[in-house]
Amino acid sequence: MPAHFIHETDFREFLKSLIASKPVIGPVVEPKSTGDKFIFDDVTSAEQLRLDYDVSLVPPKAVFFPPVQKLLEFGPNGVKSCINPREQVLLGVHFYDVKAFDQLDKLFNDKFPDNNYLANRRATTVIASSVQTVSKHAFWGSFGKDVKAKGHDGFLTKVQGGYVYETFSQKGEALLKHGKFGNASTDQVSAAKRENDAAMDKCQEKVTFTPAEISTKTRASFSNNEMWKELSKDCFSCGSCNIVCPTCYCFDVQDKWGLDQVSGERYRTWDACLTEDFAKVSLGGAGGHENFREAGAQRFRHRAMRKLTYLNEKLGGPACIGCGRCTSACVPNIANPVKIINRIMKG
Amino acid sequence: MSPKTKAKVAFFDFTSCEGCQIELTNLGEKAFMGLLDHIEIVEFREAMSEKAQGRIDISFIEGSFSREADRKRLEDIRSRSNVVIAFGACAATGGVTALKNHMSDYSEAVYGKDAKMPHLDSSFALPVSAAIKVDYSVLGCPMSQAEFVEIVSSLLHGKEPVIPNHPVCVECKKKSTLCRYGQGDHCLGMVARAGCGAPCPADGIPCEACRGFVDHPNQEALVKVLREKGGLSEERAFNKSRIFTANLRSDAVKGAGARKE
Ligand code: SF4
Ligand code: SF4
Ligand code: SF4
Ligand code: SF4
Ligand code: SF4
Repeated sequence: MPAHFIHETDFREFLKSLIASKPVIGPVVEPKSTGDKFIFDDVTSAEQLRLDYDVSLVPPKAVFFPPVQKLLEFGPNGVKSCINPREQVLLGVHFYDVKAFDQLDKLFNDKFPDNNYLANRRATTVIASSVQTVSKHAFWGSFGKDVKAKGHDGFLTKVQGGYVYETFSQKGEALLKHGKFGNASTDQVSAAKRENDAAMDKCQEKVTFTPAEISTKTRASFSNNEMWKELSKDCFSCGSCNIVCPTCYCFDVQDKWGLDQVSGERYRTWDACLTEDFAKVSLGGAGGHENFREAGAQRFRHRAMRKLTYLNEKLGGPACIGCGRCTSACVPNIANPVKIINRIMKG
Repeated sequence: MSPKTKAKVAFFDFTSCEGCQIELTNLGEKAFMGLLDHIEIVEFREAMSEKAQGRIDISFIEGSFSREADRKRLEDIRSRSNVVIAFGACAATGGVTALKNHMSDYSEAVYGKDAKMPHLDSSFALPVSAAIKVDYSVLGCPMSQAEFVEIVSSLLHGKEPVIPNHPVCVECKKKSTLCRYGQGDHCLGMVARAGCGAPCPADGIPCEACRGFVDHPNQEALVKVLREKGGLSEERAFNKSRIFTANLRSDAVKGAGARKE
């Protein structure tokens, strides 16, 4: 992989040129917060970009798979697809979120390619960046650490005096023309490696079991009803742990009529398997319905199964990438996967 | 209802502030006029004076059922209507009017020496469904404009309206809104029925569950969280959800639930 280097003093000019060339999305301060909460949003000036962010509230998957996405418009003249990707750069994604992209790429390409996702994904240049601030609930340093991030076009690592920029694709290379990049020296490349390796030890939360051990034990715990009840006692079935998760990919599709009542749109929106009606299905023309995960404890268990075992084989590792967003999002403090894992392993 | 003939729509009010009917007039000219191509309003006190006679396709009922004397009028509306829709929180759940249900001294507090006047006499404030069969509800205090349009559109197309049964947190989190609990505040969003788009937390104030509870709210965990994380006293944590959901709580007065067929 070619490695380049740009001086700290030239970095702002690079960003300015990049922002002037096409839309750039990156981590910025959530405007209502006291400067300590971050979101991915369009970056309009180099100063706004906060590569020292800890974690974003909603994961950057929203760039390809928005919380609400119009799929098509319908009317008296037929149906029109709404696939309309924007050529853009997504800059400053942490490696754990890149791992989540890689999973979504696989899932949205599984059997039936989902072009509403894939078109946005292809039109976006993804540039990852090193973790400068570790968020309080992160545990990516231990859990699933052997699964490598892939699918990004470049990786920026902040080192002494500037940034090492590794490129993995033509799209990543194409950014070089916006700044005064030179070849990175061997020292700079090893400094970048040290930087990224060191971050792995900085997570406050740690998982001490291997993903394989956890997977086996989680599956074996399926019928431990008492444990799932105990774990989910305070659960509100509020779905927050799903909504903020970078690897959750479920959605609900609905049609909405326009006021003229002859045209309308079909959209999809993020769904959440913790919510009560998620597994409610129609019994067909005769009417009635069936909910195959009626109890809160069953839904709580389902998320654990999905994140810790069901998808491991298909994805090449656990579906949880250890970002800790669900831990922060859960009002009654019960969604933390580290706590859930420890309880499962205790038996 | 065929899209060719306009659906006859009427509005009626019971124990309420009539804020929901006002909210309808706030729908905006474009939206309202668009709908008027498909519906004909035959009774609407906030904007017209004639009284509906004969069959009505869709009746919207605002306000709670709080006087036995109102039962007959409700039954009459039901018998003349193809579809009955509870219009706003008071009609759908009792809303704020149900706050009186756990108290006995409110008349004196509100009306002073006039408290004993016969027209002020009322019993428990109950949802309209305690008196007659209700087909759908437009939730919210005031009622949600978007849900009103969704329900009317769905009926015009013979489709079931989509009313979420998940908490407000889902919509709040989708918008990257800062959670009240992380801001030294409290919130009822975890038990409140979504569908409003979570405007209150987005404005920096707690959700008060004006759209009522989801089907199965975890009320024990709510009191616990309000106390431990929201910093509310034991008593306040317990009473907190009464404001809009008195009739949905596990300690609701008898008869507050939907009328059994
Ligand atoms: S389960 Fe929680 S920690 Fe794991 S990826 Fe999802 S949000 Fe992050
Ligand atoms: S675990 Fe927490 S965040 Fe997830 S649904 Fe239950 S209460 Fe909500
Ligand atoms: S729901 Fe609210 S706005 Fe509507 S009538 Fe009742 S109190 Fe008034
Ligand atoms: S602010 Fe309220 S509605 Fe929003 S996530 Fe927090 S508890 Fe839920
Ligand atoms: S956020 Fe809560 S209080 Fe506000 S409109 Fe929605 S349900 Fe009502």
